[in-house]
Parts: sequence; C-alpha cells; structure tokens
Amino acid sequence: MHLFRFATSIYGDSDVVIGASWDLLPWFVAAGGAFILVHAVVKAVAGRRR
Amino acid sequence: MSASEVLAATGVARSDRVTRHLLVDRIYHWLTAAAVLILMGSAFLPIIGWKFEWLNLHWMTGVALTLLVVFHIVRALVWQDWRAMVVDTADIRNGWRSIAQALRIGRRPPGKPGKYKPLQKLYHLAVALLVLSIVVSGLLMLLKIDTPLWRRNPYWFAADTWGVIYSVHGFAAMAMITLVMIHIYFALRPEEWWLTRSMLRGSISRAEYREHCDSERWHAGGDRA
Repeated sequence: MHLFRFATSIYGDSDVVIGASWDLLPWFVAAGGAFILVHAVVKAVAGRRR
Repeated sequence: MSASEVLAATGVARSDRVTRHLLVDRIYHWLTAAAVLILMGSAFLPIIGWKFEWLNLHWMTGVALTLLVVFHIVRALVWQDWRAMVVDTADIRNGWRSIAQALRIGRRPPGKPGKYKPLQKLYHLAVALLVLSIVVSGLLMLLKIDTPLWRRNPYWFAADTWGVIYSVHGFAAMAMITLVMIHIYFALRPEEWWLTRSMLRGSISRAEYREHCDSERWHAGGDRA
C-alpha cells in the first residue's frame, strides 16, 4: 500500500508524486468507525456501572 | 426560577429558552454541511466505482464552500464572540480534572464548560485546519481546469509542487471523512440531542442551560450568541 500516487515525469526519467493514494480511503473510514465503536462501548460500560 | 416568577420578582420578562444559534448561523451550518457532503460524494464516489460527471459539481460546490468559509470567518471575527471557541485555561483545568477523576487520582470535579465544551473546541480546530487546507489547495487546483470564468494554466507550478498541492487536498479530504463520521455520531447520541436540537431550533431550554453550561463562562442573556 502506498501513501502517494505516482506518475512518470514528462522527461520519462523519474516518478513524481501526483497526489495522495486512494488506497488509504478505507483506513480513514475505518478510523472513524473504530472511534465510534470504542466510544460507544466505553459509554455503554460506564453507563452500566452507574 | 420560572419565567413568570422572574417577571413577578424583577419586572423584567425572561424567556424560558436560551438562544444558542441565530438563524443566520444555523443556515450557514446546514449549507456548509450540504456543501461538504456534496464535495465528499463528488470526490469519493467516482473513486469507489460510481462513475458520473463529477468535476463541474465538485468545483462549483468547492467555490460555494469557499464563500461560506469566508462568510463564517468574517462573521466570527466581527459579530460573534470568537473567544467562545478558543481553548482557555479553564478548559485545560477541567480537562485535567476529568482525566484525574477517571483515573481516580483526583477528587475535584471538573467545572462546567461555557458555550462550547473543550472537545467541541478541539474538534472545531481540527475541522478548521482541514477545511482551510482543502479550500486553499482546491482554489489552486482550479488553475488546472477550464471554467466559464477563467482558462486553465497548469504551468503556474512545477510538477513536484502540484503533487504537494494535490496530496494536501487528498489527505485533508480523506481525514474529513473521519471527522464527519464522528460529528454525525455525536449529533445522534441521546445525551447530545440538546445540542443537535439547538442547531435546528436555535435555542435550548433554560434547564438545559443550567445543567450543561457555566453561566459565568457563557452569559446567555448577552446579545451575542
């Protein structure tokens, strides 16, 4: 998995970064989902203890 | 003390509702929400395989979001109390007391927040940084496309610099997905409904105000909301 997208430079001798890699998209969605899950579980457990 | 009791005691009428968001701010919030969702849809749906003519919708909505952000910055600095959204020493003290209480190493309970909770302020800061990054990089990216208002000129920057601009736009946009998910999650949590309702109705009840807010830190009777 790459952090960036690359393309060949116009001179054809090297790669240049052209943007963020869209392979990371699921990871950002997963980060949001993980935060929500952990928070909901912590809240539920804390609520039950009270 | 009820509104009628206040009126009887002081001769001054007081509403049982406390204004939290004026109509203009609620319209701004929901227009911004719509713009962000349209931008995210037009950016990411084609990436995950739903192909459609996304570019015009994306850049036009991006320009609209830019205007909304400029409006918000001017309004916050001139007409609103922008300090209400800045983390202050009381927030840090309350944050520390909350942590100490959770770890059972401190006994003093945290105080109530003002208009905004410390985590709301940090969330706003994170969204502000991301949106400003997206807006600035997005405006520069407009140089790459023809529109009715200008002709494309992709030679403003070298290829490496364009790579940085596109990367900033992409990373910030993906991070916005995470933050939007968290925002919607908290808006739907029952204990936060009083805040969600206030973004629809504009006000909270005086009981909610007393329960959640420190009246010394947020003077709800003031003319700034």
